[in-house]
Amino acid sequence: MQKIKVWDPVVRLFHWSLVVAFAANAFYTKPGRDLHQWVGYIVAGLIALRLVWGLVGTRHARFADFLPSPRAALGQLRDMATGRRRIHAGHSPLGALMIYNLLLTMAGLAATGYAMTTVAFFGVEWVEELHEALVVWAEVSIVAHVLAVVVESRRLGINLPKSMVTGYKTLP
Amino acid sequence: MTDTELRPEQPLLRRGDRPYGLVALILFQCFCTAFFIYDVTSDLEEGLTSLFHMFPELAATAGLVLGVSFEMRALAGLLRRQARMEQSLGVASGALNDVMEGYFRQWGLTPSEQDVATFTIKGCSIADIAELRGSAEGTVKTHLNAIYRKAGVQGRGQLVSVLIEDLMGGPLVGAGKAAAQR
Repeated sequence: MQKIKVWDPVVRLFHWSLVVAFAANAFYTKPGRDLHQWVGYIVAGLIALRLVWGLVGTRHARFADFLPSPRAALGQLRDMATGRRRIHAGHSPLGALMIYNLLLTMAGLAATGYAMTTVAFFGVEWVEELHEALVVWAEVSIVAHVLAVVVESRRLGINLPKSMVTGYKTLP
Repeated sequence: MTDTELRPEQPLLRRGDRPYGLVALILFQCFCTAFFIYDVTSDLEEGLTSLFHMFPELAATAGLVLGVSFEMRALAGLLRRQARMEQSLGVASGALNDVMEGYFRQWGLTPSEQDVATFTIKGCSIADIAELRGSAEGTVKTHLNAIYRKAGVQGRGQLVSVLIEDLMGGPLVGAGKAAAQR
């Protein structure tokens, strides 16, 4: 049993705040209302914070620690196909791709959402449709993200959701 | 003589090749599937549930899901094959790889067992294999027992013999391939 510190408090707070904020705007608040807009600003703020933290944060929080790499992602797929267990301390290569996808999607949601409040884009159809399409894309991505976390937790024998709560990965 | 001339029986994937195209296709078809499922569910919400409207969409979705699962299996097979090829070395690796692949399928080895079997045939010790695969030595021993049981052999020596016998019984590797190409 080996315990390693991977996620600092900023990363964890960011993750769970984003979960709450996205869930609130997707299922609870009414589009066009003040609350929806305020939660949207919070999402934008969280993304901005994470981008800065990706440059100046702790080791595994930095983008340099999980640069997108198709080659490494394929290596991880091969580990899965051959049943090999290679532990990645921070984000795994496939996980990293999902992080970038979710960051971009959330940024797009915030941007299109904000655009709808401006005079220039208010009531413009394609902005609304893009906002709605991004919501669906985000939901599909989140389902894939959760499924992947479950699959990888089982494959590696590491409780990954727990590590996003406590900050520690417990290696068997 | 180049590497490919010696191993013309592997047109799908050579050592070092990466099946990005297949991965991209799988991702694209997953995207299409998600789109169809979204379309079907939003139709259901709007009450557009005539059978004639729904049937083609559901059939297309089912077709995509089947296609994706088939491609994922193919990708896993390719990656396993490539992993095996990178473990084995030398001119004979192509022919040996084919023989190994045939037996592994015949014995019904799981992906993990196939990986362990390849390392064992290469001559790695249990400790080496555990290190390479990131698993406990006990796990590797369990895999080895399953491999020997499924192959009906007593140990590593007999396992290797099965493969060597097949290679010796077959046509000479280089000559056979050269004749086939002409």
